[in-house]
Amino acid sequence: MFNLQSNSASSSRYSLPASAPSPPPNANQTKRSSSYLSTGFTNLSISGIGSSSSNNDLASPAGRGGEMNILDRPINKSRGVEVGLPAWAFLFSEIVSYSQTRVDSVADLEKRLSTLGRESGIRIISLHLLRAAQTSNNKDPKKEYRLIPALQFIHTQVYRYCFGKAADGLEKSVEGDDEYMLTLNNPPLTQHISIPKDLSQLSCEAFSAGIVEGVLEGLDMPARVTAHTVPTDQFPRRTVVLIKLDRSVLDREEGLGK
Amino acid sequence: MVVHGLWIINKAGGLVFQRNYAEGLSSLTANEYLVLAGTLHGVHAITSKLSPTGKGSGVQVIEGEDFKLNIMLTLTGTKFVLITSLPHPNPESTLQKVYEAYSDAVMKNPFYTLEMPINVNGFDERIRTIVASTVG
Repeated sequence: MFNLQSNSASSSRYSLPASAPSPPPNANQTKRSSSYLSTGFTNLSISGIGSSSSNNDLASPAGRGGEMNILDRPINKSRGVEVGLPAWAFLFSEIVSYSQTRVDSVADLEKRLSTLGRESGIRIISLHLLRAAQTSNNKDPKKEYRLIPALQFIHTQVYRYCFGKAADGLEKSVEGDDEYMLTLNNPPLTQHISIPKDLSQLSCEAFSAGIVEGVLEGLDMPARVTAHTVPTDQFPRRTVVLIKLDRSVLDREEGLGK
Repeated sequence: MVVHGLWIINKAGGLVFQRNYAEGLSSLTANEYLVLAGTLHGVHAITSKLSPTGKGSGVQVIEGEDFKLNIMLTLTGTKFVLITSLPHPNPESTLQKVYEAYSDAVMKNPFYTLEMPINVNGFDERIRTIVASTVG
């Protein structure tokens, strides 16, 4: 689940304080060397890593104070089960530093992040189609097959599901008829990441590009998707996700006609 | 009220961040800042044992004739030192905001190495915003 919610009260038990440096409630129990845990992770300390919690806590549905296990949750319920943005930020930060130790170049790092995003994208589209089918009682489940509606579907629904809001722009490239651009002025996934000067070519939004690629693949529209930081004065972190569609998609689109 | 500068001292007593935000204090050399930060770290460690009630928090404010050092110790041992003018009404809340910015922009940034000097653009920007908003 990549549905993120920025530090709002409604994101129930996975929500972590945005950055609130409040001490953990059971400070002596959760005291450990990693400095991450004592700054942001107040609620997470109850899930399995606390020294006193038994193994049963995670396995039993009634574990963790009677709340439901993640596997027993209804698949259609998407409200109130969002992942806290700070938790995501820490996870993603570790993903990037882990990946960085295993690559030689910026391009490789972006490729790794993109591959991870693609895996997510494929799952996101499956989940979305399943939910859509279930809410309509298995009657007429809708799957976009035309190019423009599919892109609009990503622009609004997928972006809203992943990032909490629709993309800020969907444009067709002037350079080629197989290129489309999705713009996000202030991408939430990478908002805390500052790229050092020696890696200035890197955009960690390659992960988001991977999500888009995965979703397009799930819709049977293979494409090469890349992310580029295109700052404006107002939005220094503005990111453009460039979609270069496979020739077969355009041929099919032509065959389908208007 | 002015915020003169901000230091961040890691848990080993090393100065990992030092910026001046206003004129008024004579600036020292990089080496002098390092020595001063190390000394402050030691003084803080001793004063935290000085409390008559047992475990104390250590020194929190050091006042000079026309400036004060406000020290905040986090649970992880990182110290934030804010140098302000004497009339600054609420250095604690500024320090709290600085800590928030640190947790966001530094700790969640994969390109920062723990305990090392902080060279993070996003953090510098946020601190500048915080400092600018407290100058009234």
